[in-house]
Amino acid sequence: MADNPRRDEIPPGTLYMLILRMLARHGQMHGYEIANAIQQVSEDVLQVEEGSLYPALQRMLLKGWVAAEWGVTAGNRRARYYQLTAAGRKQLHTEMSQYQRVSGAIQKILQTA
Amino acid sequence: MDWLYEFVRRLRFRLHGARFDQDLAEEMRLHVELRAAEAGDHAAAQRRFGNATQIHESSREAWGWTLLDTLRQDLRYGLRMLASHPGFTATAVLSLAFGIGANTAIFSILDAVMLRSLPVEDPRQLVQIRPGPSGDDEFTNPIWEQVRDHQQAFTGVLAYSSDRFDLAGGGESHFAQGLWVSGNFFRVLGVPAIKGRVFTSDQDRRGSAPSAVISYSFWKRNFSGDASVVGKTVRLNRHAFEIVGVTPPWFHGLDVDQSFDVAIPIACEPILHAGHSSLDERASWWLRILGRLPADESLQQAGDRMRAIAPEIFRATLPGEFPAEIQKEYLTHSFFLQPAATGFSEMGAQYRTALFTLMAITGLVLLIACANIANLLMARAAARQREFSVRMAIGAGRARVVRQLITESLLLAALGAGAGMLLAAWGARLLVHLLSNTSHPLEIDLSPDPRVLAFTLAVAVSTALLFGFAPALRATRIELNQVLKENARAALHGATRFNLSKALVTLQVVLSLVLLVGAGLFLETLRNLLTADPGFTRHNILLIGADVQQTAIPAARRMAVYREIRERLQAIPGVAAAASAMFTPIGRQGWAQPVQPEGMAAGSPRDTLVFLNRVSPGYFQTLRTPLLLGRDFNERDDLHSPKVMLINESAARQFFGAADPLGKTIAVDQNDVYQIVGVVKDTRYNRINEQPRRIAYVACGQDAEPGTSMRFAVRSDVAVGTLIPAVRSAISGVNREISLEIREFETEVSESLLQPRIVALLSSVFGALALLLAMVGLYGITAYAVARRRAEIGVRIALGARPGSVIRLMLRDLALPLAVGISLGLGVSLAAGRLITSLLYGVQPNDPAQLAAAALMLAAAAALAGFLPARRAARLDPMIALREE
Repeated sequence: MADNPRRDEIPPGTLYMLILRMLARHGQMHGYEIANAIQQVSEDVLQVEEGSLYPALQRMLLKGWVAAEWGVTAGNRRARYYQLTAAGRKQLHTEMSQYQRVSGAIQKILQTA
Repeated sequence: MDWLYEFVRRLRFRLHGARFDQDLAEEMRLHVELRAAEAGDHAAAQRRFGNATQIHESSREAWGWTLLDTLRQDLRYGLRMLASHPGFTATAVLSLAFGIGANTAIFSILDAVMLRSLPVEDPRQLVQIRPGPSGDDEFTNPIWEQVRDHQQAFTGVLAYSSDRFDLAGGGESHFAQGLWVSGNFFRVLGVPAIKGRVFTSDQDRRGSAPSAVISYSFWKRNFSGDASVVGKTVRLNRHAFEIVGVTPPWFHGLDVDQSFDVAIPIACEPILHAGHSSLDERASWWLRILGRLPADESLQQAGDRMRAIAPEIFRATLPGEFPAEIQKEYLTHSFFLQPAATGFSEMGAQYRTALFTLMAITGLVLLIACANIANLLMARAAARQREFSVRMAIGAGRARVVRQLITESLLLAALGAGAGMLLAAWGARLLVHLLSNTSHPLEIDLSPDPRVLAFTLAVAVSTALLFGFAPALRATRIELNQVLKENARAALHGATRFNLSKALVTLQVVLSLVLLVGAGLFLETLRNLLTADPGFTRHNILLIGADVQQTAIPAARRMAVYREIRERLQAIPGVAAAASAMFTPIGRQGWAQPVQPEGMAAGSPRDTLVFLNRVSPGYFQTLRTPLLLGRDFNERDDLHSPKVMLINESAARQFFGAADPLGKTIAVDQNDVYQIVGVVKDTRYNRINEQPRRIAYVACGQDAEPGTSMRFAVRSDVAVGTLIPAVRSAISGVNREISLEIREFETEVSESLLQPRIVALLSSVFGALALLLAMVGLYGITAYAVARRRAEIGVRIALGARPGSVIRLMLRDLALPLAVGISLGLGVSLAAGRLITSLLYGVQPNDPAQLAAAALMLAAAAALAGFLPARRAARLDPMIALREE
């Protein structure tokens, strides 16, 4: 049935930010590359359940943060490449400053405690 | 703006849904394959990826119209369910269709004649000015002219009166529905002309040229929509009126049940009524006056302003020739305001109680239909318990299952409402057709109206919720494990379901009984009216109205002309008797006034009020009214002989008690004294269902000033309709110019009984429908009980129970709801009966015979409904029943 519970391990908001950040750094990437990039950069600490990437990407497409086009991989396979749009860049900026504000505040609480 | 882009993207997704799906699938496949190539283990890659189907689903949801998608699913599933149970679906949809259809039909008539605003400019500003808070609402022309010239309470005032105009040039009349209107009538209403122009205040000038504004439908019908109609003439009562304009198709006049054909200025009245114009007549009350409130003024303020000028206006229009007492009363008149946004309706006033009664009846039918469907749905929900459990076990939320059930109910309601609307459109038209008759055609605008639509929708939706929600909640309130573990049947038989359905059946019994009692009472009323002895015969009588207004016959010759017509009618072969009279019974007109009988002390005018008629010799013989005492009028009762009078029994009893009335005198006016020469049997005067009235008859031959119209009655031994051509030529043989209106008395009487006839007909139809629905309900619960107790019955039969005892066992289940329902129903009927007393004739609402008959009929129907499944139980093969268990 349709109403399945969401099982994203990382809250979707954070996942968006990570994806946006990866795309900002590497330009065009397909889904598998994004998953690998997040894993590598986080040095295997952040385990993304790989599938959850795709609903997130769909939502981002819908929001207009990323654009997608079909291309060919190094191994000559068809793949959908995502890239940041202007709206996505703005979103990344907003999310990052928001995240930094929140995590800064949490850090302060932890230090004073 | 963002949402707009988002909407466009969503839309694009909808349009290319399949491609998006493929793209996503390919992308995900690539991911898993790349991972598998890297790890060398396909299964591990898949594990790491997660549940692909679910991810796909939730990606799709992102684009979602999820709600829409599931709704579509629900609908598709619901339709499949309905289609797979055609019997259930047909029963439910049909009973709803009848319930909703009947409600909508009655409501659309109620709406058209009582609730809907006139299609004129801002109808809420329209108010009617009346001479009293209730009663007659017309004014004289002199009062209208005063109001028109002196009022300052309104932005505009208008006056109008309905009439009918003869389009024929002599001989048999052909009437157009007419309006007398003041010059600014159309301007104040805000009704423009689609051709030519409407009247202006110029038309209020006395002697203004005869001009007419015609309605759209009259233009289409009588002028075939001729584009150059403006400037042509229409002949009304044989006078030419120049057509100056055509009104738009949406304007039908201010009377909602009588569309106007032709409107002519009030100032032209002397043209049609030469010699007896009402324009300066201070005692002729014939004009309705309406005003348009200024935007910033309340009804109260305008009323105060009008009342301030009332004394002056009534002083200025005082009828000087009237006795001082009446003048004093005249001066006490004032103005009362009343909103007039919904227009006027003779039918509304006449049929108000009947329409509301029918509305209530159809409401009850709908309730019964709902109870029925609730029962059906509950039984089905019980049967589907297992399906629900399975659905919930594999993860459907309770809300989701309830939503599915409600969707199904709404589907049923939608189908029912759709079919009901069709039925209603047809039914309302049929009803208007039934209510309409040749002398008073009803033209009611029944075009679908937002109100009617809203009403149907409201009924349909609340019905769906009413009968869908409870069973839906019940059905899903189950212990999952219990149902799955146990035999499906065990869980269904919660005692509650059974009690609720018994309660519903009891309700049906109550309501059906009320409707049956109502139908019985209305039928009895109709029967009483049809068999009541009105004091005259209505069979084989032809009534002829003859009008000499537009002929060259001088007033002095009228009496001779009327007599000549009578003699020629008598001479027609096949005519048994013919007579003339001022009024014939069961018409709308009459003449009533207080008289002064000899030897009776002058008391209240009410005690000496009599209804009068002026009749020719042979009148009583023609109508077969028995002469009880004395003699009939004869040709020797003329202007030179002493004035004579006949009275009816009621008048004789009231005025003279046991004394012999013959030879006594009655003074109609001070100088107008009559001697009583005969007594006739009581007859009905205006209506069949009226109480006996005191009636006095004076002689046609002693009328010093015969009027311009006379009625004739012809009785024949042959079928009276065949005489019409002979009658027509007999009268045109006297004078070709005389206008005629010929009707059969029987038709006239039966049309006067239209309302009781319709009420009796519809209440019987609805009563039968209710009974049928209740039987379906009773059949349902018995059949259900039989199914539930198969095993038990099997054991009983195996142990030697006789079929009779099994049937009794099953019927015993019905006894309680039936007994409770009937006793409650009798109580409700007694209480509701008081509301319909005014619609009854010759029968009391608490008539024991009627109540007993209805209760018996219901009990018999219930027994039959229960017997069919019970007999099936009695014929059960015990081996089969037991093996099944």
